Amino acid sequence: MDRVVTVVPEDGLHARPAAEFVETAGEYDADVQVGPVDGDPVDAASMLAVTSLGVASGDDVELVAEGEDAEAALDALEEVLSTPEAESAT
Amino acid sequence: MNMDEPSIDAVLSPELITLEEPPAEKDACIEFMLDRAVEAGRVSDRETALEALFEREAETTTGVGKGIGIPHAKTDAVSRPTIVFARSSEGVDFDAMDGEPATLLFMLLVPAEGGEEHLELLSSLSRALMHDEVREDLHEAESKAAIEETITEAVA
Repeated sequence: MDRVVTVVPEDGLHARPAAEFVETAGEYDADVQVGPVDGDPVDAASMLAVTSLGVASGDDVELVAEGEDAEAALDALEEVLSTPEAESAT
Repeated sequence: MNMDEPSIDAVLSPELITLEEPPAEKDACIEFMLDRAVEAGRVSDRETALEALFEREAETTTGVGKGIGIPHAKTDAVSRPTIVFARSSEGVDFDAMDGEPATLLFMLLVPAEGGEEHLELLSSLSRALMHDEVREDLHEAESKAAIEETITEAVA
């Protein structure tokens, strides 16, 4: 299953939001990929791969998840991407 | 390609590449790398740059996994984008999520008003480093020139 999400945090998919995103992606029993909409996706659980995307605040990304927890993973990742940094729970 | 994008030639030069073994402790390693940029005349204010680098590390580590550390900062202490490269045989503990110590180290310093430049450099470098053969070439390179060539080709 897949989902398109707009990246809200000011840093884009970098620094703390990226770390949270990558950590969250690794927590579920699902294979999750992230990439530009209709572009080449990369492993969402790899910090290097996620950094390579160069996603800025306001960009849309496409999340694709396969596996038992795919939906829960997408829900959690959407929340990370939709939370402005100041309010993120760290 | 956008003509305003910083070309890798402009940001990387032989005096910014070191084959010396950096300190194995992270903060000392960051200072060691910064000093290469200071010696190359790229940094107007060492303390300001160091503070910006440490602040970024405090937010979350720049150890991105696969043995790569990319300490970086946007700071007025540099007037143009600068990349310092160092290689560690021991590995530096960057507290990366995959637990691998960093053996390939890239320090990125970008002027504060650089806008998206910062993200573009970070993403093109990361994209290049995802390739196993690029990492292997960087480990095996025996000269600064070979390292410069590998990075330039991989990022191009």
